[in-house]
Amino acid sequence: MLQELFKNTKEPLLNIYFTAGYPQLNSMPEILEGLVNSGVDMVEIGMPYSDPLSDGPTIQNSSSIAIKNGITTDMIFDQLSKCPSNISKIMMGYYNAVYLYGVEKFCEKCKDNGVSGVILPDLPIDIYLKEYKGIFEKYGISNIFLITPETTESRIRYIDECSTSFIYAVSSSSTTGKGTGIQSAEGYLRRLKGMNLTNPLMVGFNISTKEDFDFASTYTAGGIIGSAFIKHIAGSKNLTQDTETFINSIREKK
Amino acid sequence: MKIKVCGMKHPENINAVSQCEPDFMGFIFYKKSPRYVLDKTLVFAKEMNPNTKTVGVFVNSPISEVLEIVQEYNLNFVQLHGNESVDYAKKLYNAGVNLIKAFQVNKNFDWDKIKDYKPFVNYLLFDTATKSYGGSGLKFNWELLRNYKEEIPFFLSGGIEIDDAEMIKEIDLPQLFAIDINSKFETEPGVKNEELVNKMINTIRMKSKYQVNDKGFYGEYGGAFIPEMLYPNIKELQESYEEIIQSDSFQEELQALLKDYVGRPTPLYYSKRLSDHYKADIYLKREDLCHTGAHKINNALGQILLAKKRNKKRIIAETGAGQHGVATATACALMGLECVVYMGAKDIKRQAPNVARMKMLGASIVPVTSGSQTLKDATNEAIRDWINNPTDTHYLIGSVVGPHPYPDMVAKFQAVISKEIKNQIKENPTHIIACIGGGSNAIGAFYHFLEDEDVELIGIEAGGMGIDTPETAATLALGSQGVLHACMTTVLQTEDGQVIEPHSISAGLDYPGIGPQHAHLHKTKRVKYSNITDQEALDAAHFLSHMEGIIPALESSHALAYLEKMEIKPTDRIIINLSGRGDKDLETLTKTIKE
Ligand SMILES: Cc1ncc(COP(=O)(O)O)c(C=O)c1O
Repeated sequence: MLQELFKNTKEPLLNIYFTAGYPQLNSMPEILEGLVNSGVDMVEIGMPYSDPLSDGPTIQNSSSIAIKNGITTDMIFDQLSKCPSNISKIMMGYYNAVYLYGVEKFCEKCKDNGVSGVILPDLPIDIYLKEYKGIFEKYGISNIFLITPETTESRIRYIDECSTSFIYAVSSSSTTGKGTGIQSAEGYLRRLKGMNLTNPLMVGFNISTKEDFDFASTYTAGGIIGSAFIKHIAGSKNLTQDTETFINSIREKK
Repeated sequence: MKIKVCGMKHPENINAVSQCEPDFMGFIFYKKSPRYVLDKTLVFAKEMNPNTKTVGVFVNSPISEVLEIVQEYNLNFVQLHGNESVDYAKKLYNAGVNLIKAFQVNKNFDWDKIKDYKPFVNYLLFDTATKSYGGSGLKFNWELLRNYKEEIPFFLSGGIEIDDAEMIKEIDLPQLFAIDINSKFETEPGVKNEELVNKMINTIRMKSKYQVNDKGFYGEYGGAFIPEMLYPNIKELQESYEEIIQSDSFQEELQALLKDYVGRPTPLYYSKRLSDHYKADIYLKREDLCHTGAHKINNALGQILLAKKRNKKRIIAETGAGQHGVATATACALMGLECVVYMGAKDIKRQAPNVARMKMLGASIVPVTSGSQTLKDATNEAIRDWINNPTDTHYLIGSVVGPHPYPDMVAKFQAVISKEIKNQIKENPTHIIACIGGGSNAIGAFYHFLEDEDVELIGIEAGGMGIDTPETAATLALGSQGVLHACMTTVLQTEDGQVIEPHSISAGLDYPGIGPQHAHLHKTKRVKYSNITDQEALDAAHFLSHMEGIIPALESSHALAYLEKMEIKPTDRIIINLSGRGDKDLETLTKTIKE
């Protein structure tokens, strides 16, 4: 499904991250509705974790509110099962939650609920290959790996070989929501483009405006927005509408 | 040091011994030997694990025969164990065969005769001189090896047995390349006892089942569960740390600092009054007497030297009790490096004296207000800082936690504690007791006793208000397996994998995880773990202050308090690792003085 999305779409792809269970425990359907209405291509559903090491204050905060709201992995799947299915879905979280849930059970639930990719930034590739690749493949779940400006060329090529849908290119070596500006990643993105990798790239971190998104998309298949969207919906009274307003500010409705 | 297991014969046995991963395996092609190979041995040997090199052992065989066998069975080396001449060696060598030339050594051995072989051999092998060609199971006088002045590396052979391991490790001849083990590891000629072989290999490689493996794991615990942002930094550290810290220049510098700056060795103090009271011999390992007041400085100095060697300009650290923060700030002041310490807002309040010390030492302190505002969250923030500063910054972790190689590296720096204890005692203690936050003072006190199974090692976690309440930090008692701070370990967490905020009166033990090595030592039952409540620790702090005139840190008081709980025999010799002094805890302690 992800593979087809990349193959069949010529326009830059927009992927939006939101934290499950935030701002309210049951906000997911409303948010997803807004995302689908405004023509977003992919959504990344964040599984909140108490100690999100790669995240800055915005996502730390949304995660801890979601946990206080009482969100669990099972509830996320339950909410997903009641949501529109005509949009590509990716689950993003930390390895610990998936490890405790059981990797096989997790992949099975992903498959049952229309999730086609998983991002676990702290699951090392070698452990994935050794222990879990077979399970992911069995359920048709694509594991998506990160690269950063510090990743060496040979490792990027290795990650490309291990990838099955797209590569998540982190635009700066930082935690999420740092806001150091996407422009400084130009050399890196240009270098990536020149590598002619097998898998398409999506750029994440430091994208919060239309300009950022357009900039990232000139070098890659598209961009991922997280913290900026979470900030936008904080305190929202009408999640669906506010979601649409945000997306329309990034990209004209298709 | 490499290990060769020689005289292999039976396929099943070869298979079993391969699992121990010896560097070389020897097959004997000398018909008169009881270990002479079988056809099926060789078929098997052909497909061996490529990490184990195969060696064919010959005694005065015709060259053509040797060449044929080497070809047919893909032998990596040929060992010449007879009276083969220089010319003979030359012919084989020039035909592309890797050679080991064996010599039989006794006190009349003419060391000069080696010289002529030098251009034609890869290695030498020194065996005990006998009437026949080796296999006597006897040792020669290893002092004779001092006569060997050439550079070619050699195998030491002849009657080596399991109890020789320690002595072999002490031979300081740089040319000693490998040991060759055979008859003393057999149940019958040609059949090796794989358990014994494994034990020898592990002792020689100084790898024990309790230590980290080459993948960075202790059993199922450990590893480096890091996001890609940290990958280059950690990978480089993993690849370089052992070499750096083992180098002579590093050790010289570190040992000098430990001696003159920290004041090591710290005393192993025989506490007469505690001994009288508990009716056994009680010793205190006085880490509280280290400069800065706790064991943390041992690790901080080690890592700061490492950071300097790796050209890092900026040091970050997390701290709970503030002892590690103070130690890091001290080390940074000494080396002129920038120092940023992350400390939970709650800990900043309860460990005020240490906050003042860090400021005095020129460190910047960043209060952490997320989560429980204690050690766990300070560690999160330090890791986030590292992600944002991946090239110029060294993260100086304060305990045996975090991604590989930190648990092993910190353990190695703290191992000085047990190394000293070994020198300070005549006879092994019966028990060593230490408190556990992340577990660094405990690993330090246990390290050199892990293989001495006669010593009972006891780690004490913080029970807080009691392990039947939610207000506790007793990770091993109540936790489950999971990933915290980038390593697989035991964690206090919900079923869903959310980390539970712990509680302990002692900031240094107030942590919901534990070093992966402890998780492994718990699982393998090598170390016994128990816990002590806030109140019991307070009582022990007051007790020691009155009995000995030593005010212990609240952390260390947990270890002391265990004396009240254990069954003590008059013959016991118990060492308590007094990890730190109580100055920092005076506010809490003085509140509980009974009038
Ligand atoms: C005096 C003292 N002992 C023990 C600890 C606990 O740490 P670890 O378990 O790593 O020795 C601390 C930590 O701050 C400490 O300050």
